[in-house]
Amino acid sequence: MVKNNPRKRPIPWIRLSMVVVLVGAIIVIAAQILDQKLHYTSTDVVPGPIVPGTQYPDEAFTGIDVPQPIDFSHKIHAGDNEINCMFCHTYARRSKVSGIPPLSKCMGCHTVIATEKPEIQKLTAMWEKGESPQWNKVHDLPDFVHFTHQRHLKRFLFDNQELDVSDAKRVCSMCHGDIAEMTVAKKSRPLTMGFCIRCHEANEGPSDCTKCHK
Amino acid sequence: MNQSKLDRRQFLKGLGLGGAGVALAGCDLPSYVTLEQGEENVISYLAPNEYVIPGVGVWYASTCVGCSAGCGIHGRVREGRVLKLEGNPDSGVNMGRLCQMGQAALQHHFNPDRIANPMVRKNGALVEASWDEAIALINEKSKSGKAAWVTGTISGHQRVMAQTHLGAIGGSRHYAVEQINANVWKTACKDIINDPNPEIHLEKAKVIFSLGADFLGTFISPVHFAASYAEFRTPPRGTLIQAEPAMSLTGGNADHWVGIKPGSETALALGVANALMNNHGVAGNGISNATKTLINKHDPETVAGICAVPVGRIEKIAASLAANSPSLVLAGGSATGNANGYSAAAAALMLNQMLGNIGTTITAGRELAYPQLDLVEGNSANLKDLAIDANEGKIDVLFVSGANPLFLAPKSLKMLEGWNKVGFKVVLSSMLDETAEAADVVLPLASSLEDWGSHIPSYAKGTRNLALQQPLMEPVFPNTRGFGDVVLALAKDAGAPGLDDYDDYYGYLRSAISALKKTDSEKEWNGFLMAGQTQIPSLGRKLSYSDGKITPTMNDSDDGNLTLIASARMGMWDGRGANLPWLQESPDQISKVVWDSWAELHPKTAKSLGIKDGDYINIKSASGEVTTRAFIYKGIHPGAIAVPIGRGHSALGRYAKDNGVNPLSILNGASDSKTGEIATTATKVSVKSAGKNKQMAKLMEIDRQHGRKLVATISADKQRRTEGGA
Repeated sequence: MVKNNPRKRPIPWIRLSMVVVLVGAIIVIAAQILDQKLHYTSTDVVPGPIVPGTQYPDEAFTGIDVPQPIDFSHKIHAGDNEINCMFCHTYARRSKVSGIPPLSKCMGCHTVIATEKPEIQKLTAMWEKGESPQWNKVHDLPDFVHFTHQRHLKRFLFDNQELDVSDAKRVCSMCHGDIAEMTVAKKSRPLTMGFCIRCHEANEGPSDCTKCHK
Repeated sequence: MNQSKLDRRQFLKGLGLGGAGVALAGCDLPSYVTLEQGEENVISYLAPNEYVIPGVGVWYASTCVGCSAGCGIHGRVREGRVLKLEGNPDSGVNMGRLCQMGQAALQHHFNPDRIANPMVRKNGALVEASWDEAIALINEKSKSGKAAWVTGTISGHQRVMAQTHLGAIGGSRHYAVEQINANVWKTACKDIINDPNPEIHLEKAKVIFSLGADFLGTFISPVHFAASYAEFRTPPRGTLIQAEPAMSLTGGNADHWVGIKPGSETALALGVANALMNNHGVAGNGISNATKTLINKHDPETVAGICAVPVGRIEKIAASLAANSPSLVLAGGSATGNANGYSAAAAALMLNQMLGNIGTTITAGRELAYPQLDLVEGNSANLKDLAIDANEGKIDVLFVSGANPLFLAPKSLKMLEGWNKVGFKVVLSSMLDETAEAADVVLPLASSLEDWGSHIPSYAKGTRNLALQQPLMEPVFPNTRGFGDVVLALAKDAGAPGLDDYDDYYGYLRSAISALKKTDSEKEWNGFLMAGQTQIPSLGRKLSYSDGKITPTMNDSDDGNLTLIASARMGMWDGRGANLPWLQESPDQISKVVWDSWAELHPKTAKSLGIKDGDYINIKSASGEVTTRAFIYKGIHPGAIAVPIGRGHSALGRYAKDNGVNPLSILNGASDSKTGEIATTATKVSVKSAGKNKQMAKLMEIDRQHGRKLVATISADKQRRTEGGA
């Protein structure tokens, strides 16, 4: 029947193109799965202190090392000295982005504290020249994803009766891992759509496409 | 048959399944295409202002300079960049609305083809130079002869500054050039009802009879009128009758669109007046006997012959106007764009007088108490004067800003020849347009979103405001300077008195406005900037009526040629919008064509000429020829061919250059007998196929719904009985 139908003519290039597409697809998927296996290392990274009253994500990831112009130590600030994350990342509770602290904030302390250390002297030199450090992006999401820090902090920190605001780093660690143990930040959660969705499902977050994809 | 069992359907099935599989797996795969991890920089503030929060926009008020309407805008600024413009709800001009040209001002601001550095002509070519070098050259040459300024419509303190500079270099003539204007209407209003800019109350009218006035698109203050029009259309719904040879945006919205023969609008108005007096007992108070005699000669039968409009239609228009008071009659656009344009405006005002609309839907405007700040409204009569004066050697030094005379002037005016006779030409511009390319010195200006300024809106209802323009962000191109700053410096160098106290235009503007408002307080100044405007004193005018001269004669030879209509559109405007991709990409309101010019032809005309939709056609006038594609549709008089203006640039950046054609270039140079406005609907052209056809890029390929009920419709007959009065 098919043979008699003149409209169903064979397409000569179709076999070749199918093979090319298939091989291409297999290579792409295999490369990404391999990459996933290399980076998803749930045992290597300490997930960080958990947030009470919350289904805490347990997925870990080993991001690439991103060198920074100043070897800033999160461990000294947030870990040893227990400075609240939001003291420097002051925009996190007010905006989409948590923001890199302005240089004036660093200099508020470092005109007197630890001025002998080479990294602080680097910082002071930049401040005196009026230049901001060119930090490199660590946690990036694709442009079509609209994530807001403000909303997540409200949900898990400010509206959370069981957690004190001084313990903000527990909430931050849900997506950023145990930054308080790091020097410069390194990606330690996958931050993929699957990761977001599983946490949203566990904690009854919204599941509308348009909440994140605007 | 023997090669493969896989047919197209199976192929698509496989592709779909495979795609779905990849998409599902993709949720957990980091995207390497879009992530900028470790690749992009994030740069922190050194010491931010207290109110600055990254990721959160701050809205600043300013004023749009896209046309002379002077709409108030709010610009959203985030991380030091302006990202979005909206209308300022407090502005009496646009009341929170903003047209597409205002929205697209962002693309002018961030345009990659903006001029970054000053340029000086050396050995015949423009080369980059320093500001010091360019200014020194200007100072050396600017007093070397008779000087003149060319601007677009200009007002506020920029006007004062330009005229101060002109005075200091010993010049006298200021040519304000604007292709799209309402000069004929305003001149007629000034002569006949003693107010050049009366308030027009669309919302109070029950019927609007518009002779070519495209008040939703290009007439005086389109955003303002669109708001009044919305009010006019709320129940009880007013009826709009539009008479014009080629459909405009307003025509497309009309209940009754009358496709009139180009140039016969005056006769139609007289025919309607005749029917009003003879059939509906309208007395015609205040109309002179001479005019009444003229009206009597124009009975609907005679007029039907002149205008190619059925007698019944003329009588229905009259009946509708007689039955629904108050009404409103307007004239502009194509009706005033011919050698008899002034008569059409005079006839429209005469109809308003007959119908008692003067004082109800047309009321007195207010005059600024400081006339030196008022608008110098541009018109195309000045374009013609500029060409004539330049050719006669009356100009030696020319300063140009905000106008593009070399693009706008028809070839028949010999603008380029005149331009070349001018010894020294300085162009202040942010884009390298046709005029800037031919200049001796080009000074790069800041964009409208980087500059200070004050403007008087071209149309205002009630109180008069000074609209303020403030920078919304740091200059994108650091070596550009504001218009006010450049002219202030030039005026100081030329020895203009009283400017030594001011280091920059901001200082001048602030001190001038403080003097105007009699306040020196920082707080009040910030209040003006936050509002984007401040009220200034004005005086009421009083309307009177005395007949204008109406001459319905048409110099129309029926030689079988078509009349070219160089139609104006919101979007490209007079060509200034052509370098903005958003405007190029927005489909034309009538033809839906994007990124190219087109020529509108009636199906009957097209058939007789053997032209099909998408055919390239040569349109030839006595002074030139353009080639573009035919767009066949019924919204045009069969004796006309309409080509929109704005495209066909030979410069103005990558998006505008070599895109479309410029119908202004082939106009025959005829002008309105009273105002001197260049006639845009009075050139005869011959049209023939160029032998090629290519489908046009347009959004809507067909003008029928094929029963899909995309837009709710009722039959014409039912509409006549229920909603349409005429």
